[in-house]
Amino acid sequence: MDGSDSADTRESAPAPPDLEVPDALADVVDADTGEGELERTIGLVGGLAIGVGTMIGAGIFVFPGLAAENAGPAASLSFAIGAVVALLVALPASELATAMPRSGGGYFFISRGLGTGPGAIVGLGLWLGLVFASAFYLVGLGSYAGQVFLEAGIALPIDPAVPLGVAFGVGLTALSLFGTENTAALQNAIVIVLLVILTLFLSYGSLDALGVFGAESTPERFFPPGGALPVLQTAALVFTSYLGFAQVATVAGDIKEPSRNLPLAMVGSVILVGVFYVVTIFVATSAFGSARLGQFGETAMVEVARSFIGFPGALAIVVAGLLATFSSANASILSASRAVYAVSRDGIIPEAASRLNLAYGTPHVALGIAGGPIVVLAATGQVEMLAEVASFLHLVMYGLICVALIQLRRERPDWYTPSFRCPAGFTVAAVGGLASFALIAFMQPASIGIGAAIMVAAYGWYRYYATDVELKGDF
Amino acid sequence: MTETPTDDDGAQPEIDDGRGEIDDTDRADRADRPSVLVPLEVLEGESIPNGTPELLANARVVLLGYHTLPDQTATEQAREQFGETAMSKLDEFAEQLAAAGADVQMRLVFTHDEETTIDRLIYEHDCLAVLVSNSTEGVESVLVALRGTVGVGRNTRLVAGLFADSDVAVTLYHVLGGDESPADGESFLNGVKADLVERGVDPDRIETTIEAEDVPIDAIASRAESHDAVVMGETDPSVTTFVFGMPSEQVAERFLGPVLVVQRQRPEE
Repeated sequence: MDGSDSADTRESAPAPPDLEVPDALADVVDADTGEGELERTIGLVGGLAIGVGTMIGAGIFVFPGLAAENAGPAASLSFAIGAVVALLVALPASELATAMPRSGGGYFFISRGLGTGPGAIVGLGLWLGLVFASAFYLVGLGSYAGQVFLEAGIALPIDPAVPLGVAFGVGLTALSLFGTENTAALQNAIVIVLLVILTLFLSYGSLDALGVFGAESTPERFFPPGGALPVLQTAALVFTSYLGFAQVATVAGDIKEPSRNLPLAMVGSVILVGVFYVVTIFVATSAFGSARLGQFGETAMVEVARSFIGFPGALAIVVAGLLATFSSANASILSASRAVYAVSRDGIIPEAASRLNLAYGTPHVALGIAGGPIVVLAATGQVEMLAEVASFLHLVMYGLICVALIQLRRERPDWYTPSFRCPAGFTVAAVGGLASFALIAFMQPASIGIGAAIMVAAYGWYRYYATDVELKGDF
Repeated sequence: MTETPTDDDGAQPEIDDGRGEIDDTDRADRADRPSVLVPLEVLEGESIPNGTPELLANARVVLLGYHTLPDQTATEQAREQFGETAMSKLDEFAEQLAAAGADVQMRLVFTHDEETTIDRLIYEHDCLAVLVSNSTEGVESVLVALRGTVGVGRNTRLVAGLFADSDVAVTLYHVLGGDESPADGESFLNGVKADLVERGVDPDRIETTIEAEDVPIDAIASRAESHDAVVMGETDPSVTTFVFGMPSEQVAERFLGPVLVVQRQRPEE
């Protein structure tokens, strides 16, 4: 007993657990400033789950039909292009995130690196970009919920996708207002279930396409009749499938050991979903011709699974699709409310927008101004337009993230001490920035118009309301 | 921005923020005081229950005010809005504890998961025990439930540290395991008693009780009814604890008085 004693006395004080992996910047942010300290609760797996969970709903369960219709089997190339662009942005974003491990993500990096004007455009744009993305996911979720009725043999007089999507939008907003416990644990579980179902399904599908289970399917011409142009246009359309990695940065304030986990979660989730997307298109286009896939629309993957394994396969994909689009929609609604918080904290919009409700601990105003427009947009049911505007607003942010990296590396302000450095930083950021802006050019004119109008309006708001806010280098 | 706060607290586990320690006379003597973590959900209206200041009069109290937020809310956001209110409440509680004689350090944490936070603070402050707060009329007798020799030194250190200088009656209690004879149990408790006496507890105030019961938790909970507070150890999480909760929580729920849960020696990292 005396032995255990001496180990306990205070001379041999144990080192704090984080002494070996100093995360100096994170410690400064979390430390008690007279008003309490902050706990970081999301580990690497949680971070990956946020990234993958936000992304995988769109690329696998909504886009394959639409993408194949536009670009044929080369749609897998479109997804690969998207993955490369996302990676080129994820690396600079990782460096910035380790230098500024705060909530707010891309908005925070740009407002601190480039100043209030670009910050306001990105901050308000990010909020609306997430609003558009959430509406898009909700329509996808509605399509899968409608598919449930179809599988059950219940005939409905109208296409239920849009009304169901709107209903889910209202429900999810209400749910998040009342503070859901353990959403992180639920998200992790959903992502694991999804990855298991998809891995089984895609392995079977790939083997089948390669002729292991009978006749090898005759591949159709890889490139669509229009050549490279439709492939690039499709890449712009499906880029919505890669928006999730930035969501990891919006919760940077909650990530443990951010200098290690942030880069791994962002880059890792992009690579993981990119591989899944490319394989999915390969499997889907080998099961059906592209034109036929296009007719199936948002739920094309259900028919692909049915052609392989019959009803059980279709059922598995319907369930997976419900889970995936649900988790994407939920994650985006929550991120949208965090984006509102980030701009209101800085005084770009009135502070009242980020008030918390003490009883539920949730930002009810921010959730309201995120949830309202989401429901309205979901009611339009314009899947491709919603997706493109969401991508547009995110791509502007991604381009500016790359610009911010270049700017900060040239200026070297005292506070800029990232613990992760993007390899070949200038080159990666330059190519990533150019690629982000270039991808916008391949969108439909209507989407570009809406996106540009939102940017102009955001800048106008900044000139009207927030010209006296100085954010550059402000911590 | 670039300073590393870890440099400051590497040598001392005690991260004193300057406000916490209210009375620092004869520190050398106080260095041996057992450290007890007292978690309170300050913004949910939890306060220091009756009898707690008396119970912890001789402790080095780590007063943890925490607020648990749903995952969709940034902790920063809550700190901005509620930090001041919470801190002033915590100040008030710290004064109550200090007025009774305890050394108090305050920590206020905004978190998404209180278990992570409590666990981190147990490490950082090398806490001997965590208090499950409940009110009690006065502190006259304490039930010390002991499972076995492993880590029993931490129990005696806590009990002696808290109650050696008071007139609190201490009842050492042991439920016999399957292959244990009453004689084994008795010699175990006598060893503990001797240790307590050596640490300055008056032998007349120590009683020992041995029982053979099938369900130790039931036995402890019903024994506890005739005492003012319980000291017991923590248990490894298992399937049973997952379903029914930790034994210490179950005891606290039924006993409705304060329970000091002695923490295992934390492994050095």
